[in-house]
This record gives sequence, structure tokens and C-alpha cells, in this order.
Amino acid sequence: MTQQFKANNNLYRFLPIISFALVLILWSLVSFNNPNLIPSLLDIWNRFTLLLVEPLSGATLTGHIWASLLRVLIAFVLVIFIGIALGVLFGWYFTFNSLVYPVFEILRFIPPIAWIPLVILWLGIGEAPKIAIVFIGSITPVVMNTYAGIKNIDKLIIDAGRVLGADRRQLLFEVAIPASIPQIIAGIKTALSGGWMCVVAAEMIVARQGVGFLIVRGQESGDTALIIVCMITIGVVNSLLSLLLNKIEKVSTPWRI
Amino acid sequence: MIGKNRRTKIILGIIGIISFLLIWQFVVDFEIVSSRTLASPIEVYQAFVVKLSEKAPDGATLGQHTLASLKLALTGFVVAIIVGVPLGLVMGYYKFADKLIMPIFELLRPIPAIAWIPLTILLLGIGFEAKVFLIFLSAFVPCVINSYLGIKLTDPTLINVSKTFGASDWDIFTKICIPSSSNMVFSGVTISLSNAWTTLVAAEMLASTRGLGYMIQLGRTFIRPDIIIVGMLTIGAIGAVIAYGLGMIQDKVAPWREEE
Repeated sequence: MTQQFKANNNLYRFLPIISFALVLILWSLVSFNNPNLIPSLLDIWNRFTLLLVEPLSGATLTGHIWASLLRVLIAFVLVIFIGIALGVLFGWYFTFNSLVYPVFEILRFIPPIAWIPLVILWLGIGEAPKIAIVFIGSITPVVMNTYAGIKNIDKLIIDAGRVLGADRRQLLFEVAIPASIPQIIAGIKTALSGGWMCVVAAEMIVARQGVGFLIVRGQESGDTALIIVCMITIGVVNSLLSLLLNKIEKVSTPWRI
Repeated sequence: MIGKNRRTKIILGIIGIISFLLIWQFVVDFEIVSSRTLASPIEVYQAFVVKLSEKAPDGATLGQHTLASLKLALTGFVVAIIVGVPLGLVMGYYKFADKLIMPIFELLRPIPAIAWIPLTILLLGIGFEAKVFLIFLSAFVPCVINSYLGIKLTDPTLINVSKTFGASDWDIFTKICIPSSSNMVFSGVTISLSNAWTTLVAAEMLASTRGLGYMIQLGRTFIRPDIIIVGMLTIGAIGAVIAYGLGMIQDKVAPWREEE
């Protein structure tokens, strides 16, 4: 029985490695038989190292990543301020909520990508439209989570604050907002991965730099290796961003398990 | 008291929406924003009525575009459910499948469906299959993840009780784990559908000859903000109907679920 268990455990440890190996072998087989359609793993690696040193459209791979990240970053500063403020207003002030929330509710169902044509008409094709798209794409989760966080606060905490003599302003800034930080951070997490997707989409439609631009360039020149390098890059950056936010979450809400 | 509060809320809401529309109308009327880049609500309404029967300038009426988009989104969505939910359930219950498939899945998951568009176009072209594949990709992930988590979160007490009463492995899987995960599965499906709808717009904007995404993209080319806004509102309205519809179905199917 124990031996059986041990054998199983060993099997489970190696299974992920086996599955990766299978994928790589399968890939190599397919690319060996259709070299024009699917580049080999070596080709992809070579494309990647080439892109690291040789600029394409004025920037190396790191330059393009930085261009995209900068857009997300700028939009995010705005999203965090405006989004949290809106969410707090929705959650705390009855009149503001009843007046403005219905409009927000109508707009929030329009996917951010559907804003791209209109935003390009408004802001042209410079940096501003991409930042605006990221802003639109990432503000909804921040507002919704802040709103839900404030609304669902344990009544007990509010009452306790009141009993201890807090005024309304103190209740908001010293009780309600701190209590909803976990929810707000969860919203920011969703928003960041949404924002990263939006920047890629916006760059795919109009841009001269950024990973979204790079991937479309790959498509236009039939450079499949470049496309795959970009896809992997986009995935890796996305994972790193969520790792970073997980860290921030742990540091900023140490009382949560 | 609550009734009165509710009435105030509704009245204020209507005032809010009306003032939003009025401000929008004024902004266009007084040329604060050029009418070449923003259409007023009245123009949008007129464009909507015209678009219902008129094919110009993008080759199809609003109804035809909507139908094309819905057909695409639903096909990709249904395939994603058929493949994704069973896969997630099996991965959640059988460790072998979990260890074999999960690593690859985790590797592919961070790549948004939009980033798959160029490769898909090169390999599959810009036809129906290509777009269904993209929508499938975006809808597939939440189906798998939620089904997987649903199984993993099954109350161990339930499993132990059924083991004590001599249930087989298969019985536990089908009669305990799957029913208890149904809520998670359902919310996964809900997320899938809204993902599918977003990806659809992107796919149609980059590669299509029909559909709502194509319509707004052409609206930009022709500098017709009224058509763009009609398209955006249609996309939003259908998204909202889908979201509320699924919410209602969920209440019917799983009425025991806890209110959030």
C-alpha cells in the first residue's frame, strides 16, 4: 500500500515534466513537417535573441515592452485615483449613487475594445488614445469592487465606530475605506490584467511601438516566429504583473490569511 | 420608508440619465466637441433607425450585423462549454489528469485571446472557423478554472460520508462532486459568455466582413461617429441582456446559492 502510494507520488512529480516534453516533441514534429507554417523551437529562440539586440521599428523587445508598460502605468495612476473615488462616492453617498450610477451601469457593459474606434476619432493616434483605452478597460473593476467593498461592510464595525464617537467623515476615512482595502486590491488585480489586454488590443489597431504593434508587424510580414515571441512575452508580462500584485496584496493587508 | 427611498432612487436615476443625454446633446450642439468626432444623441437615434433597414455604408443592416456576431459568439461559447467544463471537472477530480494537463494550461492561460489573433489569421485565415477558435479560447479558460475549483472545493465531509457508505470513486465524482460544484461551474460559464462577447468585438475589428465589431471599425474609417455609437450601444445592450439573463437563469437553476 505504502509502496503503491510512493510510486504514485513519483509519477505525479514527473507528470508535468512529461507533459512539457510531449508538447515540445509534438511542436518539433509539426514544425519539421510544415516549416513554413510553424517555426521550429530553435527559430523562435533565435528570433527572440535577435530581437533583444536588434531594434525593430526603433526599439528592441525590451523597448517595446517598456512602451506598452508605460501606457498601462500612466492609465493606472488615473484609474486608481478616479476609480476608487467613484466607487467610494457610489458606496457612501445615496444621492450621488442614485443620480450617476445608472449612467455608469449603461456604459460599463460596452467592452473597452468597442471604444477604440471612437477614442481614435477623439484623440488621434498618439499616446493619448492608448492610455484612454487602458483607462476605460481597467476602471470598471476598480469602481465596482470599491463600491461593493464599501456597501458590504460589516454593520457591526460601523456601529462600533459610531458608538466610539466617530463622525461621518471619520467613519468613511478611518473605518469604511480601510475595511474595504482587500476588495479594492482584488479589483485592481482584475483591472491590471484587463488593462494589459487592452493595451495590446489598442496597439494592434494603431501604434508604432509596443508589443501589440510588434505582433501585428509579425502578422503583416508573415513572421510567425516573431508572433510567437510576442505571444510568450505578453503572457510572461501578464504573469509577472499578477505576481507583483499578489505581493502587494500580502504586504498591504497583513491581517488577512 | 424603504418604499419611499426606492422611489427617490428611481426618480434621481431618471434625472441622472436625462441630464447625461442633455449634456451630451449640448456638447455637440455648441461644438464644444467637433460634430465630426461625436454624434449627438438625436443623431445616434436617427442613425439607429436608418441602420435598421439601410445597408450603406458597411454592407449590412444592423440586424444582419447583430445576427452574424451572435452566431459567432454563441458557437465559440458552446464549444468552449462542451470542452472546458468536462475538462475542468476531470482535472479537478483525477490527479493524473491534473498533473498532466494543468501545467500546460497554466502556461497558456496568461496569454489573452486577443494576442492569438495574428497567429490564428496566419494559420486559419479570417473565416468563420478562425473567429470561432478565438472566441473559444477566451471562453474556454473560465469554464476550465471554475469547474476545476468547484470540484476542489467540494466539502470533504460529503466525500468521507459517501466513502463510509461504500460509494465507488465514480459515484463520488458524479453524485457528490459534480452537483456540489454546479454553482462554481455556472459562474464560470457566465464569465465565459462575457469574455466571448468582448473577444468577438476584437476579432471582428481585426478580421471580418460582417458583424458589429466590423461595423464600428468601418464607422471609424468613414468618420461616422453616429454609426460607431449605434454599434457600441448595441454591443453594450446585448452584453447587458446576456448578463442579466444568465443571472436570472442562475437564480432558477441554483436557488440555494448564497447571495453575495
